[in-house]
Amino acid sequence: MKHSFIDQYSNRDSLIHRLDPRSKLVATLAFIAAVALTPSAGWLVYCLYFIIIAALILLSRVPLLYISRRSLVIIPFVLLVAIFIPFFKEGEVAFGFNIWAWHLSLTHNGLQLLWSILAKSWLSILSLILLTSTTGFASLLKGLEQLRMPRVMVMLLSFMYRYIFLLTDEVMRMKQARDSRNFGGKRLRQMSIVGNMIGTLFIRSYERGERVYAAMVSRGFDGHSRTLDRLHFSRLDTCFITAIILVLVCINLFNLYY
Amino acid sequence: MHIPDGFLSAAAVGTTYIISAGGVANAVRVTKEKIGEKHIPMMGILAAFVFAAQMLNFPVAGGTSGHVIGAALVAILLGPWAALIIMSVVLIAQCLIFQDGGLMALGANIFNMGIIAGFGAHYLYRFIGMILGGNSRSKMVAGFVAAWGSVLLASIACALELALSGTSPVAVVLPAMAGIHAIIGIGEGLITVAVLSMVMATRADLLRLQRV
Repeated sequence: MKHSFIDQYSNRDSLIHRLDPRSKLVATLAFIAAVALTPSAGWLVYCLYFIIIAALILLSRVPLLYISRRSLVIIPFVLLVAIFIPFFKEGEVAFGFNIWAWHLSLTHNGLQLLWSILAKSWLSILSLILLTSTTGFASLLKGLEQLRMPRVMVMLLSFMYRYIFLLTDEVMRMKQARDSRNFGGKRLRQMSIVGNMIGTLFIRSYERGERVYAAMVSRGFDGHSRTLDRLHFSRLDTCFITAIILVLVCINLFNLYY
Repeated sequence: MHIPDGFLSAAAVGTTYIISAGGVANAVRVTKEKIGEKHIPMMGILAAFVFAAQMLNFPVAGGTSGHVIGAALVAILLGPWAALIIMSVVLIAQCLIFQDGGLMALGANIFNMGIIAGFGAHYLYRFIGMILGGNSRSKMVAGFVAAWGSVLLASIACALELALSGTSPVAVVLPAMAGIHAIIGIGEGLITVAVLSMVMATRADLLRLQRV
């Protein structure tokens, strides 16, 4: 099976890995919300946030290179959207230049907004990466269920998670078969081949779904899943949550009054 | 088109979360009514299918490659409510496993790629099918337009959310997003047509499933 890219590093051991998934979820949500609510260009506050997340990342002992490479996932969207920001905001002009018949000018306000959005989205993504690379998906789901996420959604997600690996393998096999038969030719032909592959994948998935359901019904499935709950909220979790929330509140109070 | 955290204002986050949560809750109710407790394993596995199908890249212009979103495909094959469930499960997993799309922006992403893309594709497919009649060629045309339209509509919704959040002025972000996705959508349309014609040739009964 070639699925080592899914929740890599989540089964290592560190202080962060040992925390209850619920406390990590709540802390991540609080952190992202605090980052989102910080007014733009609060550079000092962004630095403080960065120090918190960097300390937690160091504690978790997840490789730094992995985390920084992972955080690049936001780049395409950032480029798509943020690149327009500096050009079209009103305000004092920082510098301007001419390209052919276009006169473009960057304003201070626009640049400030761009850097703030970049900083915010990078901080948020770091905290999400930390959450998912220290928590296995199964325990994340258990945590979500205890935090009152609807049961149906949790069951759907856990079903999906179970079959991602099988279907990923299926896709890899199909890709291998295709590539060993020389995947070339015109673009339209390549597209129709990919279309056929997806069609085959759909039919196989659908039939697998029916077989799985039949197997479940014959074993007494009635629309509910019953699992053993083995999560426990330790003193460490209480300390962690209290510390994180206190720090976030302090940072924001500090930012309000100074 | 997965919006990361930091791009949306609190108002946009709140509004899209409320709409998406309501939509997903209703989708769960509707599918449960129509297909019973079978919907849980089925939707879960089909969500894994969309996830896996997105791993299949095809060449786009200039050495880049793209993949399908799949919202239109599942909306045509299984109906818009089923598509909404499947896409939201996929988007939650993408956010939590690959950080593709932010946690605060999840509501907006489900709104764009689940509600707008799914229902847009469903109604476009039905509308064009009604105009052109029910033969297989018109179904292919309808499938292409529905898939292309779903990408375009989702990108317009995404652009409007960004504009309302004050991230980028509407006069800039709307034509830019819609223009780029009008081109990307051609790939989605062609692949969707290829999938539909393949399913029609081999398992035509799957095209006559009860839609939810």
